[in-house]
Amino acid sequence: MPQAVLVRWFCRVYLLMLYAYPREFRLQFGGEMQQLFRDRCRLTAGNPGRLRWLRFALRSAADWLSTTIEERTVTLREMTPRDYGRKAAGLARTVWSAGRSHQPRGLVAEWGMTLVVFLFATTTLVQAYVIPTGSMEGTLRVGDHMLVDRVAFANPGKWGGKLLPYRDVERGDIVAFHYPEDVRQTYVKRVVGIPGDRIRLQDKQVIRNGVRLREPYTQHIDPMVEAYRDNFPAAPQWSTTPRGRDMLLNHVRDGEVVVPPGMIFALGDNRDNSEDSRYWGFVPRDYVVGKPLLVYWSYDAPTADLESWSLGHVVDVMAHFFTRTRWERTLLVPRSQQAGVDQ
Amino acid sequence: MKKPSAPQELLPLTAPVFHILLALTGEERHGYGIMQDVARQTNDGLQLGPGTLYGCLKRMLAAGMVEESEERPDPALDDERRRYYRMTPLGRRVVRAEAQRLANAVTAAKARRLFDWPETEEA
Repeated sequence: MPQAVLVRWFCRVYLLMLYAYPREFRLQFGGEMQQLFRDRCRLTAGNPGRLRWLRFALRSAADWLSTTIEERTVTLREMTPRDYGRKAAGLARTVWSAGRSHQPRGLVAEWGMTLVVFLFATTTLVQAYVIPTGSMEGTLRVGDHMLVDRVAFANPGKWGGKLLPYRDVERGDIVAFHYPEDVRQTYVKRVVGIPGDRIRLQDKQVIRNGVRLREPYTQHIDPMVEAYRDNFPAAPQWSTTPRGRDMLLNHVRDGEVVVPPGMIFALGDNRDNSEDSRYWGFVPRDYVVGKPLLVYWSYDAPTADLESWSLGHVVDVMAHFFTRTRWERTLLVPRSQQAGVDQ
Repeated sequence: MKKPSAPQELLPLTAPVFHILLALTGEERHGYGIMQDVARQTNDGLQLGPGTLYGCLKRMLAAGMVEESEERPDPALDDERRRYYRMTPLGRRVVRAEAQRLANAVTAAKARRLFDWPETEEA
């Protein structure tokens, strides 16, 4: 990595670290401390030695840790009960007047609001997920980190359909949902069948309600035709999961799967390499989490690293962030797409 | 913090404070200049990080040992304006008192022939 990038990166991190110091101290010396830190960075960049950056980082961290603690305790010790009272009153005032007055808001209020909005947004409105497997390859790639819109398909009873944009799940939508066999996992697939639809596959092609679908979003990587996978639900595989067996036993009529009320039939776009409704049955409508909103970061990494972060993966990301990030996929919006009819 | 009138009340100084005062003895310097000079004084034994340096300067300003000078660019560095610091008369008295205290300690050590022993001797 070029030295200039490293210096800039270090300085940016240090700017954040400065917020650990008491406000008065930061206001008085923050700018100069940044200058000094940058000068030391450049000094380090000019020095020889392979471990110089590590030594520099450790030394800076030690300096930061010891002095933040020191400055904080000094500030606390110098405060009288009246100061505490004044500080609490000031905080209450800034929070109270935040957003109403035109004066610049206090830093505390601003960060507080940011935090509240962030927590609300990340838990209620959107949620971040990563795609660990290739079942949607062609549309979503392994290592796509994306935000899921949790409002889009939310139950309108809870939210009030008039209040927020809401619609029901439709055929062709990409949905994120709790994997029915293990609700701790979240899967992303495309909706192929909604309640009442009759579904079967013939030579890899979906036939829905008697109509052959032309699905531009799918990809096929295997030239071979597998009896069950590609001519579903013919030649039932009894090794499927309990829910998959239930589907094959109770919801097949005349060689077609009929989607029961309150359920969804979902398939991966990478049709030949996708564990989907063919194998583990229907997705209950209530298990749908939301709709993929956009890919905010796409990073080329193996599946195991994406499923749980390890120290090795952190180091890998730090070392290859710029080269392995798929920049062209950043801020990509996965769209629902309707299947055409094959004549 | 109330300002002590006698330098003796401020002794002994911590190592960073003492070396910062030494760095400011000849001329006024900015933060990076102080850091470089302290490293020179101690043969790179004492590398002041930003937190340590400005924590010390804050207390030294409060005690009246140093004062802020003007802000101006350093011709040797980039064009950025930097805040310079200079020593006050009190600071000069304090660093002299501390140096005297250390000199007395060194004299006492010499009187006990501490430096006559070979340095490599280990018990």
